[in-house]
Amino acid sequence: MAEQILDQIRDVAEGQIDFEGQKLVELISNVALTVVGALAFIVGYINQDIKLAVLIALGGTALTFLITIPAWPFYNRNPVKWLPVGGSQPPPPSLQNLIVNEKSLG
Amino acid sequence: MYSSLVRLQNVFGLFTTVAFVVAALIAASDFITPRAPTVGTLKTTNVQVVNGRPHYYSSKKEEYAIIKFSLDADLSSLFTWNTKQVFVYVTAEWPSSLSSSSSSATKGGLNTTAENQAVIWDSIITAPSSDHLANIGPAAMKKLRKSAAGKSIDPSRGKLTLKNQRPKYQITYPSGKIAETDNVVLRLHYNVQPWVGILTWNQDRDFGSWKQLQGGLSKAFTLPATKKKATAAGGAKS
Repeated sequence: MAEQILDQIRDVAEGQIDFEGQKLVELISNVALTVVGALAFIVGYINQDIKLAVLIALGGTALTFLITIPAWPFYNRNPVKWLPVGGSQPPPPSLQNLIVNEKSLG
Repeated sequence: MYSSLVRLQNVFGLFTTVAFVVAALIAASDFITPRAPTVGTLKTTNVQVVNGRPHYYSSKKEEYAIIKFSLDADLSSLFTWNTKQVFVYVTAEWPSSLSSSSSSATKGGLNTTAENQAVIWDSIITAPSSDHLANIGPAAMKKLRKSAAGKSIDPSRGKLTLKNQRPKYQITYPSGKIAETDNVVLRLHYNVQPWVGILTWNQDRDFGSWKQLQGGLSKAFTLPATKKKATAAGGAKS
C-alpha cells in the first residue's frame, strides 16, 4: 500500500516523457527563452527602464520552467510501443552464419 | 530531456546563456548613447591652511588645506537606463617640485604635468533604479524616491549646483607641509557605474558619441600660509 504511493511519487518526481515529448520540450524551451530574452531587452530599451527588463526576463523564465519541467500529459501523447514480454515468435534467421562456441546461430 | 531533473538542468543552462546575451546587449547599448557632460563653473571660494593632527593622539602636527569651492555642472547625460550610480569627485592637483619624485598617478583626466592629486570632495548620485541603495535616512529616502516620481531616468539627477561647498576631506602632503604651494587647480572627475557593463571615468578625449568633459578645470590658485595666532593672513581667492 505504502509501496504503491511511493511508486506514484517516484513517477511524478522522475517525470519521464516519451521521445516526441522530449523533442517538443527542446523546441518549446529554446523558443520561449529566446523570445523572453529578446522581449525583455526591447521593452526595456524602449522604456529606458532596466527594472522592467529584469522583471520580464525573470517572469518569462519562471513561466518557461513551469511549462517545460513537469511531465505534463501532452508530452506523453506518443508512448513507445514496447513488444509484449516473451510469447512472441523467435527472431527470423539472419543472413550471416554466426558460429559461437562451436554452435551455429542465426 | 527524459526526466524532470534533466529538463531542469537543460532549461536552466539555456536561461543562463540567454541572460548573458541580454546583459551583453544592455551593456553594448551604452556605447550608442551619446554623453555630453559639461561644467559651468568650478572655482574656489575660500582657501585656508591650518595646523592639525592626523589622529587624536598623534604627536606631530601637520598642515592641512581646507578648500571650499563652488561647482555648477550638468552630468545628466551620463544617466541611461543602464546607469546605476555616478560617483563624482573633485580633486586638488599641483605639480611636484622635483620632476623625478614619485607622486600619485591620475586616473582619468590625465594631465601629464599634474603629479600631486588629492580628493577634496566626492558624492554618489544614484539613478532612480538604484535609489533604494542610497545611504540616507528614511525621511531623505522618501524625498528622494518622490523626486524621481516613478520615472526610470530623472533629468534632474546629475545637475550639480554647489555654492561655497565645504570640502569633505582636508588635504595634506606626506612631508606635512602644504602651505604656499603654487599652481594648484581643482578638477572634476566622474565614474559611471552601470548595472551591467564596464566602469568608465571621465575621458581625456572624445570617443565617438561620448564627449570629453567640458570645462572641468578651475583656475590655478596658491595655497596660503597658515594663519599666525596674532595676525590675520587672508586666504588667496582665485
